[in-house]
Amino acid sequence: MPEGLSRRSFIKLAATAGAAAAVPGCEPASRKLIPYVVPDENVTPGMPTFYASTCAECSAGCGIVATVREGRVTKLEGNPADPISAGSICARGQAALQGLYNPDRLANPMVRADGGSLTQISWDQAIAQLNDHLGRAIKAGKDRVAFLGAPQGPAFRKIVDAFLSAHGSSRAVFYEALGNEPRRAAAQAVFGRRDLPVYRIDQAQTLLSFSSDFLETGDSPVEYARQFAAFRAPRQHRSGLDIGRSFYVGPRMSMTAGRCDRWIPAAPGDEAQIAWSVLNVLIAQRWVSQNSGVDLNALASLVAAYDPASTSKRTGVPAEAITAMAEAFGKADGAVALAGGDDDLLHTAVCVLNAVTGNVGRTMLFLDGGPSEAASTPDEVAAAMTAMREGKIDVLVIAGANPVFTMPPALRAAESLQKVPFVVWCGGVPDETAAMANLLLPAHHPLESWRDTFPRAGVRGLGQPVMQPVFASRATGDILLAAAQASGASSLPGKTTEEVVKAQWLAMAPQGGAEDFWTTARREGGSFSEAKPAAVRLNTGALRAPSPSSSPADLTFVTFPHIFLGDGDGADKPWLQEIPEPITQIVWDNWAEIHPSTAARLGVSKDQLVELRTEHGVITAPALISPRVHPGAIAVPLGQGHRAYGRYAKDRGSNPWEILAPGSLRIAVKVNPTAATRELITPLGKSELMGRSIVEAMSIEELARGGAPEEGPLAPEPYEMYAQYDYQRMWGMTIDVNACTGCSACVAACYAENNVPVVGKEGVIRGRIMSWIRIERYYPEENEPGPSVYLSPMLCQQCNHAPCEPVCPVFAAYHTKEGLNGQVYNRCVGTRYCENNCPYKVRRFNWFIPEWPEPLNLQLNPDVTVRGAGVMEKCTFCIQRIQHAEITARIENRPLRDGEIITACAQACPAKAISFGDMKDEQSAMMRRRADNKLRDYRSLEELNTQPAIVYLRDLYREKGKA
Amino acid sequence: MNRILLPLAAVLLISGLGAVAVSERPWLPRNDVVQPIPFSHRIHAGVNKIPCQYCHEYARRSENAGVPPVARCVGCHGSGITGGIKPVTRAWNDHQQPPFEIRWNRVYTLPDFVKFTHRPHIHAGLACQQCHGPVETMDRIVPVKEINMGFCVECHTQRKATLDCVDCHH
Repeated sequence: MPEGLSRRSFIKLAATAGAAAAVPGCEPASRKLIPYVVPDENVTPGMPTFYASTCAECSAGCGIVATVREGRVTKLEGNPADPISAGSICARGQAALQGLYNPDRLANPMVRADGGSLTQISWDQAIAQLNDHLGRAIKAGKDRVAFLGAPQGPAFRKIVDAFLSAHGSSRAVFYEALGNEPRRAAAQAVFGRRDLPVYRIDQAQTLLSFSSDFLETGDSPVEYARQFAAFRAPRQHRSGLDIGRSFYVGPRMSMTAGRCDRWIPAAPGDEAQIAWSVLNVLIAQRWVSQNSGVDLNALASLVAAYDPASTSKRTGVPAEAITAMAEAFGKADGAVALAGGDDDLLHTAVCVLNAVTGNVGRTMLFLDGGPSEAASTPDEVAAAMTAMREGKIDVLVIAGANPVFTMPPALRAAESLQKVPFVVWCGGVPDETAAMANLLLPAHHPLESWRDTFPRAGVRGLGQPVMQPVFASRATGDILLAAAQASGASSLPGKTTEEVVKAQWLAMAPQGGAEDFWTTARREGGSFSEAKPAAVRLNTGALRAPSPSSSPADLTFVTFPHIFLGDGDGADKPWLQEIPEPITQIVWDNWAEIHPSTAARLGVSKDQLVELRTEHGVITAPALISPRVHPGAIAVPLGQGHRAYGRYAKDRGSNPWEILAPGSLRIAVKVNPTAATRELITPLGKSELMGRSIVEAMSIEELARGGAPEEGPLAPEPYEMYAQYDYQRMWGMTIDVNACTGCSACVAACYAENNVPVVGKEGVIRGRIMSWIRIERYYPEENEPGPSVYLSPMLCQQCNHAPCEPVCPVFAAYHTKEGLNGQVYNRCVGTRYCENNCPYKVRRFNWFIPEWPEPLNLQLNPDVTVRGAGVMEKCTFCIQRIQHAEITARIENRPLRDGEIITACAQACPAKAISFGDMKDEQSAMMRRRADNKLRDYRSLEELNTQPAIVYLRDLYREKGKA
Repeated sequence: MNRILLPLAAVLLISGLGAVAVSERPWLPRNDVVQPIPFSHRIHAGVNKIPCQYCHEYARRSENAGVPPVARCVGCHGSGITGGIKPVTRAWNDHQQPPFEIRWNRVYTLPDFVKFTHRPHIHAGLACQQCHGPVETMDRIVPVKEINMGFCVECHTQRKATLDCVDCHH
């Protein structure tokens, strides 16, 4: 990023082709051409500029590269230099753009009158009010000013500390709704250190997940998806050709559970006992590492009560499953156990499991020199809320957190905030907490501001603004620093956030090379090095085992962060609302997963609203009757239930936080069916394959045997309707379904790259969803061999014998000279014959003029036409990227290089499941992937003789009884 | 009566449709565009023989040819090289004042569904005049040819350039 960013004049060629792309179809672009006054040497109008930064959508801290066109960011991709993202980001990261351009963002400072109504004021007035209240708070005494917000990096912490000390206070509360306290407590008990470990799933041959949805949420979903793909890739194990063995123990079949070899249903809270039982078997069978240095006798007495037979009796988990897990875990050459949830005894058990098998330092690493703890402990948070209620705080600044929404009722967040005389809220889209604030200040989006991240030892991410602010917002750090200065602070870490961040980096720089280091960091998006794992020892003295107990007779409510909406902060982004949750395929709503036997007992039917009552409160949710949840559990995702937070989030579903106790995501619940129903909406048709070869799988045993016996060709004798065309180039894809996790990053990337509109819940109900690529989900029928769930990307297959092409009366659907099924928007008259004739159902029709409420339209990619009503559209294999690369190659007078073109979906895939390339080039990486996996290849619906350009590689599963 | 009214109605209807058809093609080049300052391409490109890409510097690198930044104008006009006209009456790079912007009026536009890019055309050795006409003779830019698909395809056919629809329509 040039020094000039802040000064950069954004007077630009405002009317370059497509800049007015929000106006669909034939309306004119702007008639004005406004050139730069002074050209920016780094900007070529009409060509993208790239800036490295960091993603702030979750705590993983992925590095990103932002594509900027004419001063506005249009696409985010992973930063290949960053070891965490390694070039890919998830759906939430892709959708950060819709947080930036959200039409409901606060545009100007607002002040709340006593009656509750909001009035717009100027920044000067707002700052004056803030300074006035801060001044009075200082006079009132010590610790009268408090900060409450999410951890936002080391530099931001410095700023908050400086702000508070300038006002005689030390009340900084860094609040994370989904914290890591149980894991830290467990690491403390077992290893005597409170930092969070990192995992190397790719170094393992066996994986046990106890309710850890590491592919969806948690520490680092992108990184772990990448590692899990390597783990699941067929390779030589001791026993021969194999894939990693994976087990998931937990109350519901999440996406992560579905991608494991075996899902073992367990009642919520029973995971710890099962983990200890696995430990019991490991020690009894001596499947432990000889040199782990662990006192096995001490452990043996601790786990004595957990023999598989009695554990099975108590929990209902088959003893066979426990011994199978133990055997796979203990005998593996590298294994890793992971845990999710809030049970510190489960986290303890997982640490011990990894330690006794010698996997700490191998698959579970503690790194020295890592970040100090980011978040406040739950006790500190509770104490701060109490202080507010007791009237000990006069001014509270809230930034990056939504306590009124995410705090369980026992913390009494709303009541506490009410007792604070002056609450200042800094943020984007006004949420439930903003509704209680006295002063609302529009804050920069992370893509508009400076910040730094320190996700782990060796990884320092630098976040820099990638464009000028969309609204009249300011950086939260700048607001705090200005306030501190106004209050007469003698020493500040800097005048602006940029200065603080820069000072932080210069302090890390090698002798004499400070400015170079800073420049490099801005170009590379940070500073990355390999950290060595620390030597840690298991301390058996402090260990505690859970008390053996039977599963509760009552139903247990269990909640979990939604893969896209997280704890609720993703709900304001329409892409994340409209992309179906991979397993349930539900959009724009939340649901209560109920086992069929439980539903029958309670008299609950599909879509019926059930009332979930706990000692803390009551919510309702429509029932999703599914055998993929434990009969003793009612599971509802977090994320919905907002009463504010913009048009896309407001008044949608219910908020599970309202019925939980602090520090726990499960609780005893009473379920009452109500008379009302609400239909759960999914774009999916059938959940069963019904004999169709849409997606295929084979067992790893069969692969090891050398594949299935040769079948006759599925298709009839190759039949050509037209003369063969001599292709110079023919674009194709290879998609490894075994690597795909279902995370839908590809779907979000496609929405961003190709200006795919969102149709809303009503639109999805009417079958009008527009996604060009989707994750199809199927379940194998009972007694049918197959994986727990089929998850496979479906997009235009670019058939060589395309059924869509010959039925178009106006030649809008035609075959290009590079083997694509072209779709010419300006020729299309909307007969929809092509859509009818497509066996893959990947063509989408625009029933209406799509809308992008301002300023969401600023995200639109100017290289792609915005389609109007009455036009058919579909996946183009990112033809704009192909065009760009072909033109560049032609100008440079050289052939196209393999890998030069990468479609948005392939680029986004964390597991690198999608390869794109030229089918005429046998040496292309895409074709080599086909050749290397000959035993696994299939084409979707091959028997139709459509000759797709996409070759899938079969998903792999384990034959029954071998898991 | 009907013998007069019906043909009249028909004429009105057809001319009305024609008017609609024309007004709904607002991307067509216009020859009535007046610019905010009396800039002459004849003097610059014709008399003084300044190469097109001296000012339209992005043409070979980007999809846009680019309208020259004000700094490019001032490069000659403000430095005394020409010693001639100085149309800039105040400090053009004074950041304290509202930006000194020239709001040119567009002569050539394309609809959103056409993705034209200058870059390959310049590298193919086409003269700017091929599409834009003898600009060096014009005081005020007026389009010489209607830039429609027939115009593109004719040249693409002659030069054996791509005729694949999706290369431009995507």
